[in-house]
Amino acid sequence: MPTIHDQIDEVLAAAVHNELTDDERRALHVHLVECAECRALHKEEQLMNKALGEIFTDEKPDFGFEKRMLYAFRRKAPPRASVAVFLVNLMRSRVTQLAAAAILLLALFEMGRFLTGEEMSIPFFRESRLASPPMAMNGQAAATDLVTSGGASFFPDKQGDAFVEAGRKSDTERDHNQAQEAVRSKSELGSAASVQAYRAKEGSPATTDDKRGTPLTSGQPAALLARASSNVPVTSASAATNAEEIGPSPSASAQRGPANRKLIRNARVDLEVRNFEEAVQQIGGFASEARGYIATSSSDKQENGKLRGEVVVKVLPENLDDFLEKLRGVGDLKNQIIGTDDVTKQYLDTDARLKNAQAMEQRLLEVLKRKSDDINDLLAVEKELGRVREQIEQMQGELKFMDTQAQFATVTIALAEKDMDVPAGFLLKERAQLALYAQDVEKSYNQIKALASPKIQITNATLDRDNAGRVSARISMLIAPEESDAVIAKVKALGRVDKFQLQTERVARGGQGMSEDAKTERDKVQLNVTIAREEQEAPLQQTTLRVRASSVSERAKELRNLAEKQNGRVRASSFARDPNGREFANVSLRVPMKNYGSLMQSLGALGKLENVSVHREERPDAQIDEANAPADISIQVYSQGKIVPDNTGVIATLRRTLAQGAAALMWSVQLIGVALAFLLPWLLPIALIIWGARLISRARASKRAR
Amino acid sequence: MDSADRDMFRAAIHGDREAFEMIIRTMSRPLFAIAFGILQNREEAEDVVQDAFVKAWKSRWRVREPEKLQGWISTIARHRAYDILRRRRTVPLDEQLQEFAAAGNGSESPDDERHRQVRSALATLPELYRSAVALRYLQNMDYATIEQTLGLSNGALRGILGRALASMRKRLKPALAAMI
Repeated sequence: MPTIHDQIDEVLAAAVHNELTDDERRALHVHLVECAECRALHKEEQLMNKALGEIFTDEKPDFGFEKRMLYAFRRKAPPRASVAVFLVNLMRSRVTQLAAAAILLLALFEMGRFLTGEEMSIPFFRESRLASPPMAMNGQAAATDLVTSGGASFFPDKQGDAFVEAGRKSDTERDHNQAQEAVRSKSELGSAASVQAYRAKEGSPATTDDKRGTPLTSGQPAALLARASSNVPVTSASAATNAEEIGPSPSASAQRGPANRKLIRNARVDLEVRNFEEAVQQIGGFASEARGYIATSSSDKQENGKLRGEVVVKVLPENLDDFLEKLRGVGDLKNQIIGTDDVTKQYLDTDARLKNAQAMEQRLLEVLKRKSDDINDLLAVEKELGRVREQIEQMQGELKFMDTQAQFATVTIALAEKDMDVPAGFLLKERAQLALYAQDVEKSYNQIKALASPKIQITNATLDRDNAGRVSARISMLIAPEESDAVIAKVKALGRVDKFQLQTERVARGGQGMSEDAKTERDKVQLNVTIAREEQEAPLQQTTLRVRASSVSERAKELRNLAEKQNGRVRASSFARDPNGREFANVSLRVPMKNYGSLMQSLGALGKLENVSVHREERPDAQIDEANAPADISIQVYSQGKIVPDNTGVIATLRRTLAQGAAALMWSVQLIGVALAFLLPWLLPIALIIWGARLISRARASKRAR
Repeated sequence: MDSADRDMFRAAIHGDREAFEMIIRTMSRPLFAIAFGILQNREEAEDVVQDAFVKAWKSRWRVREPEKLQGWISTIARHRAYDILRRRRTVPLDEQLQEFAAAGNGSESPDDERHRQVRSALATLPELYRSAVALRYLQNMDYATIEQTLGLSNGALRGILGRALASMRKRLKPALAAMI
């Protein structure tokens, strides 16, 4: 417990500042009475207190000090926008901080996914958002396009009159057709403008064949036609008023419906009739009623005597619907397809190109007339002229073709007589597959080929020899039905039969289903033979055994002799010696089953038999010639060798230990590499996080220190 | 600290300007004392107070607990004052000597002489001590309020003022003897 004397500085200061408790004050007084040193200090402290009071009295801030501070603050820190305040407050809230942390984690996660190559999940969203606006824009652009082309680029009246003139000259019947087309397209597209155009056509025969007039693009003819139709009564109106009339008018901008389209109509009808000839006559009658004709007609007699055929009829497009209606009376309607091909754009394009080519031709002709002296120039011009004319002819041909196509609708009528489907007869088809194993493939192959005769035809024969010397053969033959059994038996005798398969199929002729009076005939028998070498046959029985002997190579030789005595063959043999001096000879033999027993007995003479195991494949269903079926025997002859191997002892152990140590070291280096590769992408975010955390903790620490 | 004060501090931290202006009204004199104790110059001290409030307003979001706002603002003021003091000290020694000479010579009363001595003794104290002394003598604050204003722990001020006065006493012994 410190005494007052020890703490005199503190106590004295507190005393002059009136901060002592009553007890402390009493204790101090008691102490001061008895301690002269502290008494002196107390005196000094009081003087000190007084002096300090003096120096500070004059320094008190004046009366308006707070106000000054307040104004200064308002000047230096004006109120900020509420958004900023809101953001600052937001940053302060725990929820926001948690959310920010979550977002950071999510960002890291996504970055990880991105780095590891997994797919992000945005594309669908982005595509669906992008999909609609361009479409809307297209429509809009097209509409404005139409308006501008209708308003701005409309030709002056003079030109318009020229068109009217041209129209007067044009073929009236064709105009009629076009009008009909317009009606049809009206019904298809429901466009008000096409009605208008149609009425205009009906009202004045002087409608323009305007597509011939100018090289226009596909969007324009409709507007052009609308302009022409509205313009017929007011030929004297100025181009400007025309533009005003046409431009904003809803019919011009809204209509995309063509009044003057090139439409190719065609139909396909499948009919079932009682009599083919009658039906064709009837169709001919209907065709001429519809101002058409039969273009082609074909028929085909089926095996059961029924007729099937196709008739192509050309009728005027406006009569097509009537005609199809009438066709239903000819027979039972099985199927009907009606299609329309719009070739307007193609037609206008070709037409425009034709105009250009014709202009070119004119220019070339003028060049020729100028009579240049240079022969080369003349030749070049001539050549070019020839090319241009060729083009012109080609395009005119195309136009003409399209005209005729559009002029007539094509109706393809497929006719079939009833009761087509009853079969006229049956055919019995036999196919046989035969797989053989033969001792000598090539010999058997030649023997089979030698069977060829008018009744036995070999359709295909191949002999394969691969680079390992294995031979296989495939033969396909057609055999007359009466010979087939004999031939198949003959072929079977040529080797060991592995597989034989006979397939019989009854095929109906001229239809499907049952027929009471149909005859059944036997067709030629198709025989496919594959021949493989006996070696490739799977053995019926497999035996493995080991023989321990002192002299391996001699024993192996004896083994071969034994096998040959028993009519067996050595399929494979190998010889090996390991570092410890052990010798191994592996011999694989194949003998016929009938000699198997005696061979096994004779093997006992070689040495002690070990590890004998026999594996037999039972094929209960198969009828095989068991006596001649192959049996395989694998024999390993080995010697004991040295007992103590080289790889023991201190040095070897040391070497092994070192090698294993090195391997373990390499493995861990590899793992460290993998870990680094995994961690590197994370280093940046982790560094950022650590940096932020340190900033925060430093700020906190310094605050605490203050 | 009562709850009304705490609410006011919390509101100020959350961006309530009125609350902050109230804090300015109540705290500008203590802050002045703190700065003056360190700087011994009225103009500079006033600047410090202004700067401290502006800075405190701008970074008020750093304060988590409303109780600590007062201490924090006075810390800002103290640091600001140190900065100015440090900058002032880099003024060449010659000038300081001249100033000192100018202050020392001439005809001054014994009181002025004593005040000068007291001031220079005060200037030798650590900055925190000077601030505490100024708060005590300029504002006549009691110990508890001073501790709260400076953000000191309870009872720490007694030691600080005791040491401060003792140190000055020793330094001023002759002058004090003359006062008797």
